[in-house]
Amino acid sequence: MWELCCQSLGKRFGERWVFRGLSLQVAQGMVLMVRGANGSGKSTFLRLIAGLLAPTEGYITLCYQGHPVPDRHRWLGWCATDGALYRELTAYEHLHWWATVRGLQWEPAARADILMTHLARFELADRAHERVRAYSTGMRQRLRLALATLGAPPLLLLDEPDAGLDAAGLRLIEQVIDEQRARGITLFATNRQDAECWGDLCLAMGA
Amino acid sequence: MRQGIVASLLMGVVTVVGVGFAVLGEALEAGLQAGLFWIALLFGLFPALARGFITEEETGTADLLRVGARPSAVFWGKWLFHATLYLLLSIVLIPLYALMIASLRGDLFGWLILWGLGGFCLVSVLTLCGALVARTAIRGALLAVLTFPLLLPLLLLLIAGTKAALQGQSLWGVVQGVLGYAMMMSAGAAWVFERVWREV
Repeated sequence: MWELCCQSLGKRFGERWVFRGLSLQVAQGMVLMVRGANGSGKSTFLRLIAGLLAPTEGYITLCYQGHPVPDRHRWLGWCATDGALYRELTAYEHLHWWATVRGLQWEPAARADILMTHLARFELADRAHERVRAYSTGMRQRLRLALATLGAPPLLLLDEPDAGLDAAGLRLIEQVIDEQRARGITLFATNRQDAECWGDLCLAMGA
Repeated sequence: MRQGIVASLLMGVVTVVGVGFAVLGEALEAGLQAGLFWIALLFGLFPALARGFITEEETGTADLLRVGARPSAVFWGKWLFHATLYLLLSIVLIPLYALMIASLRGDLFGWLILWGLGGFCLVSVLTLCGALVARTAIRGALLAVLTFPLLLPLLLLLIAGTKAALQGQSLWGVVQGVLGYAMMMSAGAAWVFERVWREV
């Protein structure tokens, strides 16, 4: 059973506090919607959880069976709209590289099939061997989602993953969230008004 | 990455060819030959090595690495790429140097040891300094300030050693010095990198 806890969390850039005194607890199977206008601190909050920024005050703990796990970034999937991809690599190469980096262990013979099946889920199999520089905005976003969900991480952080996606892409996000409910925690930052139905909890930033 | 390799090769070749034409037909003394040898390699390495991490930060892929990979894997992965570039540069520049500036003579085994140890140290220093400055706003100035005190003693040692190799003298004292520097860098660079790579 996974659990994410934030205690009195605060982040300040220079003299400006983005947020302060944020405490929450999200248990396995739950989806936390992080909502707010541009600049309200949604991305900053997710970057703190991902370990890409240090909190100015407070602390964050990811627990498994009640025990804090060290190096929580090892257990998370990260998808951000501004998250970069390597333009010279193909989608398949991205997944192959990511699987190696994350230490995902598969039979060498089955590895290619697993990666291609994963890409097919995100409707990228047809162009799996094309370089990312030739991809549209929506395809790049699908690839970011594919990378974030590879290996089924228990903590999934989605920072405006719906940006640039068409209706089919949005359905895909719904599926990803539904699957994640069964195995872990999802934090989903968005400023869409109609996305509330995807979450079990809602955190309004800047309110 | 490709641009960095091309820039490095171009810089190194232009340095050797430019100096080669400037000293054409002149008999250079051993100290000058040794200095030109290392400066040509350093000039070639600098554009790619110093920018390795800066490019990752500028394109945003550094965050992907921070989330996914262990800091030590990132450091040694970059180090390996930079070491390969050093090898590639040496394959191009050393014959060119021998052709245009001065032939490699004296203690060739000594040259080889210094080339290996010197390369290890140069690559480690530049990889570490590139990582240190990548997240700062004043990268150019900071890179110069950081690399100068780290590179200067190393370059002086390497030039002194290469001069001794050219004259067929004993290298042992210099090799000991460079070896100590290499050991310090191999332990220190990876340790420092782990502490600066993630803000937390």
